[in-house]
Amino acid sequence: MTEETIKIRDKVKSYVLQAASADKEKIKDTSLIFKEGYFDSMGFMVLISFLEEEFGIKTNDSDLLEENFESINAISEFVARKSN
Amino acid sequence: MSSKKPFSKDIILLDDVEAVVNEIINKLQKDVLRNLKRLGAIVGTSGGIDSSVCFALSAKAFGPDKVVGIMMPEKDSSKDSEALARELTAKFGVMAIKEDITDALAGFKCYERRDEAVRHVFPIYDPKSYKMKIGIKQSGLSNNLPPLFTLTIIDSKGKQEDQILPVKDYLQIVAASNFKQRCRMATLYYHAEALHYAVIGTPNKHEQEQGFFVKYGDGGADIMPIGNLYKSQVYQLAEYLGVPKSIIERTPTTDTYSAEQTQEEFFFQLPFGLMDRYWYGFENDYSPEEVAEVMDEPVDKVKALFGNFERKKKTTEYLRMSPIRDYYGLKV
Repeated sequence: MTEETIKIRDKVKSYVLQAASADKEKIKDTSLIFKEGYFDSMGFMVLISFLEEEFGIKTNDSDLLEENFESINAISEFVARKSN
Repeated sequence: MSSKKPFSKDIILLDDVEAVVNEIINKLQKDVLRNLKRLGAIVGTSGGIDSSVCFALSAKAFGPDKVVGIMMPEKDSSKDSEALARELTAKFGVMAIKEDITDALAGFKCYERRDEAVRHVFPIYDPKSYKMKIGIKQSGLSNNLPPLFTLTIIDSKGKQEDQILPVKDYLQIVAASNFKQRCRMATLYYHAEALHYAVIGTPNKHEQEQGFFVKYGDGGADIMPIGNLYKSQVYQLAEYLGVPKSIIERTPTTDTYSAEQTQEEFFFQLPFGLMDRYWYGFENDYSPEEVAEVMDEPVDKVKALFGNFERKKKTTEYLRMSPIRDYYGLKV
């Protein structure tokens, strides 16, 4: 993970921890936040809006893959790729 | 030893439709006349399969002179809906009343609030020259991500543009559009109270359990006679009850947005025949492996579907909840 991605991850993590609807202590950087039920459909929509506002990235249909959003690490890598 | 039947594609089909219809009719009579102490039934008739079956069941249960069908079109409604509803009410010899709710919705600023949010996403959007609808991203069902909603606008030449809906605009469009179902509910209760009748709600099992209804809108009714029936079973009842073919053969639509939109596209993401079978497997605790083998699909796909169903049930629980009132004053 690059230095830039680590900075992104800190922001994503901070957001995910405050927005998650369940036991926040259990969420790790690799936790599957959707599969494990921390985020629902509305949470996903708000997350997309957060990423757009915070990092200025536009999410397209083709980006809606599990590997881009399944965990804090995956989201951070996705944002880093989109930002570049 | 478990008495559960092995999973099969036909497992949801009713063996004795006549017996099921008679059971529903008997219960309708008991619930409306004895439990609710009402004199008959009011049914909103949209020309769709669910409302038509509820209407036919009511006509059989109470007799045609104790049922009224209320058609409630508004400016975005399909023109076919009224013709189909009239065909239905005529077939069963039941009185039909038309209540155009367009002016009431304009009074609520339903269209104005919805169009404001649509323009926020597509500044070019003009409701006079464009149609609009929202839908679910198809990819959502077979992976572990929850669905996202897209907004589609279509110009007069048929050119279509789609965009993922930002949450604020999605919420505003849905909230504004929900005036339609709530306005219809209020209209049904006007007629029900004026005649001392009960309101028959039309949601089927999927709509109820997956949360495809508007709280205090089409979810507001006294009785929901098909609330435990799969869509395939609703069609079986429709055939038996003699619902017109034109209604049975029509693709189920939401009839909510100005652009044509099927229920599959907007919410369910699967044809109803498949949805019925997967849902049955899910709620009756069949293993994804057994269901996958019968349905000839990969196990991972069925697992993802079951995960999606579980998520839908949980996230729509709010819609099915009654007001919470266990506050001060509980009996000790």
